[in-house]
Formats: sequence, C-alpha cells, structure tokens
Amino acid sequence: MINRQVGDAFVAEVNVKSASKVIKAIDTAFPKDPSLPLSHLRRFAKREMLPPRLRAAIESQCVPLAAPTQTIFVLISPPLPDITTLKDLLAPFAPNPAPAATNDLPTTNETPGETSQSDTPTSNIQLHRIKIPLCPPFNTTQAETWTKTLWPVVFNPAAPRSTVAPPPQILKRTQESIEPRAGYYLSLARKVAEEAEQSGLGRGVGAVIVDPAIEEEITEAAYDAGYDTAAEWDEAVLAVAGDARYSRSEAGAPSQAQLHAGVAPNPASKAYNADIEGGPELHALMRAVELVARWRREHDRLDGVPASTTTTDLSKPELDQPELSALESYFLYRHRPGTSANISNQPQSPSSLLKRKHDDANPESALTSDPSADPSQPQLHHPPPPAPPPSTVLLGGSPTPATTPAASRIRTRSQGGYLCTDLDVYLSHEPCLCCSMGMLLSRFRSVIFPRRGRLESGGLSSEPVVGPVADELEQAAEADASAVDRQDERGYYGLHWRKELNWRALGFEFVEDGDVDVESEAEMPIFHA
Amino acid sequence: MEFKGDSVVEDSRHGYFMKQALLMGEKALQSGETPVGCVLVHKDQIVGFGMNDTNRSMNKPLTAPQGTRHAEFIAIAEMLQSHPRSALQSTDLYVTVEPCVMCASALKQYRIRSVYFGCANDRFGGTGGVLSLHSDPSIDPSYPVYGGLFEKEAIMLLRRFYIQENEKAPNPRPKKNRELNTRFENDEAPPTW
Repeated sequence: MINRQVGDAFVAEVNVKSASKVIKAIDTAFPKDPSLPLSHLRRFAKREMLPPRLRAAIESQCVPLAAPTQTIFVLISPPLPDITTLKDLLAPFAPNPAPAATNDLPTTNETPGETSQSDTPTSNIQLHRIKIPLCPPFNTTQAETWTKTLWPVVFNPAAPRSTVAPPPQILKRTQESIEPRAGYYLSLARKVAEEAEQSGLGRGVGAVIVDPAIEEEITEAAYDAGYDTAAEWDEAVLAVAGDARYSRSEAGAPSQAQLHAGVAPNPASKAYNADIEGGPELHALMRAVELVARWRREHDRLDGVPASTTTTDLSKPELDQPELSALESYFLYRHRPGTSANISNQPQSPSSLLKRKHDDANPESALTSDPSADPSQPQLHHPPPPAPPPSTVLLGGSPTPATTPAASRIRTRSQGGYLCTDLDVYLSHEPCLCCSMGMLLSRFRSVIFPRRGRLESGGLSSEPVVGPVADELEQAAEADASAVDRQDERGYYGLHWRKELNWRALGFEFVEDGDVDVESEAEMPIFHA
Repeated sequence: MEFKGDSVVEDSRHGYFMKQALLMGEKALQSGETPVGCVLVHKDQIVGFGMNDTNRSMNKPLTAPQGTRHAEFIAIAEMLQSHPRSALQSTDLYVTVEPCVMCASALKQYRIRSVYFGCANDRFGGTGGVLSLHSDPSIDPSYPVYGGLFEKEAIMLLRRFYIQENEKAPNPRPKKNRELNTRFENDEAPPTW
C-alpha cells in the first residue's frame, strides 16, 4: 500500500566514457514529464550494481563483453520513447559498435568516439524492459529493497517525502506549535459539540478555529513574564461552531429542532435518515468557516464600506443559518459567555499527539510536489496581527463586566486576512468529505481531530488504525499491511494531503491516553460530521 | 455517457437546462465571480439557481471571500426555501463545470438524482476529475453523472474569467499579455478553476 506504484522503463548498456553524452542525448531528445519526478532513480548502474535478477536476465540475452568494466547501464525512464528512435539515439554510444567491413574490431574501448562514427551501429543497442518504482522511497529499507529487486534508487530523507507526506521539518514545527494546546482546543471543540447536542439544534460535533500566530504571541509574552498562559489560550480562538443540522426550516416547515423542542439530544440523531440531516453547510466545520467570513463582512460594513453593495441578489439567498449559540457568539464577538457556557474547565491532561503524517495517504498518484502547496511557503505576507485585546475578554472569573466586546482577533481583509489561511481547525470528529474539501478550499494550515472521533464517512483518515501504534516506518508498513488484510470497508481519502488538489493542510489525529479501540463506539450511528 | 457536441442532445430538454446554467455562469462572470453556474430541476421546473459566490465582492475591494460558497450550495439553499430536502432525491443538477470534491460529496449527502455537467474539472473534480465520489461506496447511494453537455461554452466562460487578473488574491498575477484562446484541440484539457 505504500509506494507500490511501478512503471515501465528501459535499460541499455552503453560505453562508460560516453555517459555524460548519453544523458545529454536522452534529456534533449525525450523531454521529462515534470509531474513525474524520478530523481530517486539512479541514472546509471554499473553491472555489479544491477539487481541480481535483472543482471541475470541481461547476461542470458547477450554475451558478456570482453571488458565489462568499460560499460555502464543507463536507465531510460518514462515517458518512454519509441524503441527505434531510442536505439538510433543510443547507437553511437554502444559498448561495441558494430563492426563495419572497413573497421577492425576494436580491441579496446579507448576510442569510442571514433568507432561510434561507424555507419551501421544500430543493432548493438540492446534494450531491456524493467519495472521501476515511480515514487521515491520512504526510508532506507525501502530504498535497499528496490535497489535489490527493481533498479538502484537513492533515498533522500527529506525531499521525496514531501510528494506524499509533509516535509518532516514542517511537520515537526507544526506539531510542536500545536501540541501544547491541542488538548485544550480539542476539549473546547468537545464543549461546543455538547452545546450543539444539548440545544437540540444539531449532532454533537464541534469546531474551533485557532490562529497559531496569536498562540505564539501569548506564549512569548508569557515566557517573558514568566507566568502560566493557560488562561489566555482562548484569545487565539477566532471562532467556534457547533453542528446545526436540525436547525433549518425547509419549505417553511418546522425544523427538526422545532419539532422536538426541549428534547435533547434531538431524537433525529438516533439514526441516519438523510431526509432530516440538514446538509453539510450546517456541519460544524462549514459553519465555523462561515462565521469567520461573516465576521469579516460585518466588519467591512462597520468600517464604512458602502452598504449598498451588500444587497442580496435574488440568485444568492442567504443560507439559512441559525442564531449563534452562547459559545459561538462569545468567541466570534467576544461577548461574555452566558451562564450555560462556562468553559473555564481545566485543559485536558497532556496526551500524545501521535506522530501521524497520513504519509501513505495517496500512494497511487502522489508523485510530485507543487511548491505552491508547500505549507512552509507563506502564501501571504500579512502585517502582524493587531495588539492583544483588553483583558476584559478573560473568561470565567473576570470581575470586570465587559460592556463593550473586545476586538476579535480575526484579521480583516485590510490586515491580510484571507479565507482561513494560516489558521488551524480543531474538530470533535473527523469531518465528512464535503467539509474536508471545504477545509482545503478555506486554506487552513492544519486540521486536528481526536482519533476516537474517526468516522466511516470521514474524508481525512488515510489508513486503518493499527495497534499498537508504530513509530518506526517499517513497523508501520507491516502493521498497515495486516490492517488492510482486515478488509476495512470505509474509504481512506486522506484528502488533506493530496497533490492533485491545489491546497494541502497538515492533518493530526489526537490520541488520548487510554484510547484503546476506537472502533468500539458501536452505539453511535454513522453520520456525516 | 457523454454528450460530446451532440447537437440533437443539446437541443433537448437537457440542452435547455444547461443553457440556463450557462446563463448563470455568464452572470457570475459579469459580477467578477468564477463563472460557474447551475440550476436544479425538479419535475421539469427550475427550483434553484446558483452561481459561484466565493469572492462575494464585485465592487467591494475589502470584502471577505468565502471559498466554500459554490454555485451548487447557492442553488440548494434556494431550493430548500420552497421544497423539503427529500425533494432532491427526484431533482437533477445541471452545472457548467464538473462539481468539485466538496460539492460532489454534498450532492451525495443530499441524494441528488443525477448530475449533468459541461466541462470536466481536472483540478478539483469530485465526479471523475480527481475523485469519483458519486460512485464510491458510502453511506449514501451513488448518483449518475453525465458530462460534456455544452462543454465548449463552459470552457469559454472559464477562459474569459481566467484571462482577467484577480485583484482579490493575496498576490495578483499580472496577465497583461494574455490573449483569449478560442481554439479547441482534440481532447484538450479544460481550464482549471
């Protein structure tokens, strides 16, 4: 399942002294496919470096040359040229150019340049068809295996991975940035989920959008001052949203929430009945994204951007969005939370963010790296975020009654805020495919959900959960294989990191201490989160 | 099934509805949006119109784009003002460009009856372009997809859009020297969006 993709290639034996000319000739005559980088493949292999089986096959077909050390095998990789053209091209570099009637057989290979000028050299190039790995190897073991069985490959510990997995240093940096507070924000997502469920407006799914730049500010300020920052972590939260799938009135009929007013959780959540599931725009992630955009639109309006342009067009009715909940309203507008929204809970005890890269998310086609999708390259050079809001936004026990909402930390368009670029989203559950793509279209930096929130309908997981969790790639590969043997039914889309799509986000699954079997939540009906 | 320039088909009711979708795309183009238009057809009636609304800006230089407001969502929102969600099970979508992954999944969750599109979307397409969510196994039933209806018209809309500069983008790319390409090669890849 990892990097299994192979392709056809040719191998030809050429004169070692012509090596650079051969490369030049091949590269000039046959353009490479830029979407298929094959830099992990060695261009040449000496006879003794050939995989034993290939070497045996070659030697069974041709008589070994008198001076085999003087030749080398060149790889012709896809897109494959026409065989005749290729033979003609390589003919001048053949190890033993065809003896022309007027020439003596060369006793040495010291004059390849001259002998290659002979008139009928074409028949001396033997092409051997082989299989090559189209993806770079993940590790040295894989590189060695392929070198022994297919064709010599090079393992570059950093570069190749970025085609199918985030570059390790970016992954590490992001993980380090997320890890200290991930448990806290996920528990906030959980709170938002509970609020949604208890309101009867939706299923128990919550989303929290966090600005890591603000997190960093808080941490740095605290480091300088030498105090604990936990109380300020909420400041980095730009918006939260709960699922609201039962809130919508369709065709003027009462919504599911209205039909079951006062009953929580909503009875509709006991099963999956598509007709009363609202729609994905009412899912937590989509709503959180909508709230950020809504805040910006309102902010523009307040900023004096002509209101006439906001007139609604008949062709774009406002999506029917419910009233904001206490938590949603608090975090979007920085109003003080109502009594029902006491979230001054302790951050979750530290758990381990699994070192999970979903790195085999897309083995079939992940071959190239689009630099524009590289999360290490800032897409946007925005001014520094505005100064921290006044301390009146402190949650819970703040004695100061906040009469005026403190400024939200959402960057406006004029401050460089664009979609959800550079932001992280924490979710109580794995988002559905629709929301996963919405996450990408919103250009989040990363997406985090608890492993126990995995859903069969989700769009992010890239492989079955394997246990015990393997840190080493080889172990992971083996465990992965056995897991696949279990014939999991669900699709593993790994949508957040696919090179075909023009944006990629880092995905983290949060594994809580004591998580044993995530597939044990049998009572929960399958639904789209 | 593909419609590949079949004029008989394009004169049919499918053609009529796709023309309405193209008109929506045209309208999107006029308002500075990615020109993707669609209509939802229930019992031979258009019950929802949609055009892309991701820039949501037009003459508003600093308004907030929202990348998720695709034409399909707008049309569904309109439809649900007059129809229950269950009506989507007997509703067809006509959209100028193959639905993206997000919309393909949404349409499946909404249990659309079938989807007719103009040109393929090889960057984001969710019904064959990149993924095939319409037919992948899932907790919702599959739906049939028919592509190629007024394909060239849909592509031309996109070309006319992408020849413009996007001043809303963080780093607008100058495109002064571009010329509108009106040629169609065999099996040419459609523009991307």
